[in-house]
Amino acid sequence: MTVEAPVVELREVSRTFAAGDVSVPALRDASMSIDRGEYVAVIGPSGSGKSTMLNLIGLLDRPTSGSYILEGIDTSTLNEGQRAGLRSRRIGFVFQSFHLLAHRSVIENVLLSTIYNGMARPDRVPAAEAALVEVGLAHRMDFLPTKLSGGERQRVAIARALVTRPAILLADEPTGNLDSATGGAVLDLFDELRAQGLTLVVVTHDTEVSEHADRAIHLRDGRIEVES
Amino acid sequence: MTNVVVSVGADAVAPARMSPRDLAAEAVAGIFARPGRTVLTVLGTVLGIGALVATLGVAKTAGNQIVGRFDELAATSVVVTNERGFFFGGGDVRIQIPADAEDRLLRLNGVTAVGAMGPVDVGGALVRSVPIPDPLAQTEFQMSVYGATPGLLGATRGALSTGRWFDWGHSERADRVAVLGTGSAQRLNVTRVDQQPVVFIGDEAFVVIGILDSVRRQPELLNAVILPEGTAREVYGYMSAATVQIEVEIGAASLIAEQASIALSPDEPTLLRVQKPPEPADLRRDVEGDVNALFLVLGGVSLLVGAIGIANVTLVSVLERVGEIGLRRALGAARRHVAGQFLMESTAMGLVGGIIGASMGVLLVVAISATRTWTPVLDPWVPLTAPLVGAMTGLVAGLYPALRAASLEPVEALRSG
Repeated sequence: MTVEAPVVELREVSRTFAAGDVSVPALRDASMSIDRGEYVAVIGPSGSGKSTMLNLIGLLDRPTSGSYILEGIDTSTLNEGQRAGLRSRRIGFVFQSFHLLAHRSVIENVLLSTIYNGMARPDRVPAAEAALVEVGLAHRMDFLPTKLSGGERQRVAIARALVTRPAILLADEPTGNLDSATGGAVLDLFDELRAQGLTLVVVTHDTEVSEHADRAIHLRDGRIEVES
Repeated sequence: MTNVVVSVGADAVAPARMSPRDLAAEAVAGIFARPGRTVLTVLGTVLGIGALVATLGVAKTAGNQIVGRFDELAATSVVVTNERGFFFGGGDVRIQIPADAEDRLLRLNGVTAVGAMGPVDVGGALVRSVPIPDPLAQTEFQMSVYGATPGLLGATRGALSTGRWFDWGHSERADRVAVLGTGSAQRLNVTRVDQQPVVFIGDEAFVVIGILDSVRRQPELLNAVILPEGTAREVYGYMSAATVQIEVEIGAASLIAEQASIALSPDEPTLLRVQKPPEPADLRRDVEGDVNALFLVLGGVSLLVGAIGIANVTLVSVLERVGEIGLRRALGAARRHVAGQFLMESTAMGLVGGIIGASMGVLLVVAISATRTWTPVLDPWVPLTAPLVGAMTGLVAGLYPALRAASLEPVEALRSG
C-alpha cells in the first residue's frame, strides 16, 4: 500500500544554542510528522522552543542533531543554496510583525516572493492578483502597506506566502499584533485555506488560535509534551 | 503508518536563483525608496568625479592655449647675440658676427628671414633735424643709432608707415641714408619722406628714406636711428653686429638654434649666445603637470570622501533593513542574492554620480574656457571613463556593507527587524 509521505517529518531533532560556555537546549529529541492538508498548532509558553521548531521546519535554521525530512527530502544533506531554493518554492512564511516593505505597494510586496523562486515573468502578476483576491484584498492592490489596517497588512503577508503555492504555510504568532476582531478574520482565512487543502503550521500561545487547528503540539522546555 | 520516501528529482532541490533583471529591479527600487538620501549620497561621487574631469580638462585646455600663443611669435624666433664674447676680453677678443651673416644663415633649411643689427658708437653726438627757429622747442636729442642689414625688416616683421627700407646697394655704396623708428621720427618732427628730409648725427647728414611704424621683435628699433651696415662702417667704424634676429619655420627652432652659432662662428661657436623658444611639447607637459598634480590630488580626495559616503550610507541602509534582509532570506534569497542587491545599489549610485560628475566637469571646462576665450580641449577618454570610475568607486564602497548584509542569520534578522 502506498501512502503519501508526510509533508514534514522530524526525527529526534535537537537544537542547542551556545551562549558563551553554556549550551542551551532549545529543542530536545523532537519527533513528529505533519501530513498533507493538516492544520497543526504548536503551543507552549515563552521559551518552550516553539519558534525554534518553526525555524527548523522553515529551513531557516539547521538542527544540531536528528534529521528533518521535508516532502521526502532529507534536508540535512542540502547545501545553503538548495535550502534557499526549497524555501522559495515549498514554504510560505507569515510573521507576527508582517515584514512588509513600507515603500512598495501591496502587489509589489506580494510579487517579492516570485522573484526568488524562478516563476516565469508573465505568470507573476496574475499569480499575485489571484493571491490577493484569495485573501480578499483585490481592491487594495496599489495601496502602500502604511495605508492599511493591521488585519489587512497580515492578509497581504498571507497573500505573499500563498503566491508561490507552497507545500506548507508557517505562521509565527500571526494574530499577535492584531485585536481579536481582525485576528479572528485572519483565523477564518486560515480555515478557508485549510479547507482548500493547504498544510498549515501555526505557532501561538493563544488557545483561541489553537482551537481552529486539527491538532496541537504542546511544547514545554524544548520537549513535545502532548499531541492533542 | 508506513513512511515512503518519494523519489526526488533534481528540480526539487534546485538551488535558489534570481535573474539579473530582477536583481537590477530590486536594486533600483532600493535606491528610490529613499530618494533624498540617495541624492545626498551621490553628491560625494559627483564632486569627486567632477573635480577629476574638470582638472584634466582645464589642464589640457590651458596647456594647449599656452602653446598656441607661443606658436605665434616666439616659436619662430631664434636670436643670436655676441654679448658673451664681449665680456670675455674687454672688447679685444670679442667675436665678430660676420658681415655676410644673412647669407650664411639663409642657406640653412628652415630659416625664412635673417637680419643683423648692432649699436653704432657715434661718440655722443646728438641727433637733430633741420633746425627750426623756435627757442622753446628742444631740437637736439640723445638717440640710439643702430647699424642694420637689409634683412632685418623681414626678420623683425617690421612695417613702414612711409618711404622704404634700405637695400644692399645703400649699404655697399655707404649711402648717407637712414630709417627712423616711429618714436624718433616723432621727436625729430619728421612725418613724411617725399621731400627727402635730412637728419644730422653730430655734423654728419643722412637722408631719411623711411619711417618704421612697428616691429614684432626688437622693439628698441622704434626709438632709434637705423643706418645701413655699410654706411655705419664707413662713417663711424662700426665693426660688427651684436644681434642676429632669425625667423624660422614652426618646428625648426631647436635645429636652427644649434646650427646658427656654428654657421656664424665655426671656430668658436660656444662664445655666441643663442636664445630659442621652449619646446612646445615640454611646455605643454610642464603646464599640464603643474595643474594636474595639485588638482588630481584634490579630485582623488573628493572621490575618496564620496566613496566613504556611499559606504557609510549603504552600511546604514543595511542596518536599517535587517528585517527586509531576513524576509528576503525567508522568501528564498541566498546570501549572494542579498549581497548582490546591496552591491548593485552602491554601484548604481556610484555610476549615476560618475555620469553627473563627468557632465558637470565637462560643462565646467567649457565655462572656464568661455570666460578666458580659450578653446576647450578634453581627451575623449576622460568623460567616457569617468562614469566607470564612479561605478568602481560605488562597487568598492559597497563591498563591506554587502558582506555584512549577507552574513546576517535569517532567524536573527527576522527577530530584530
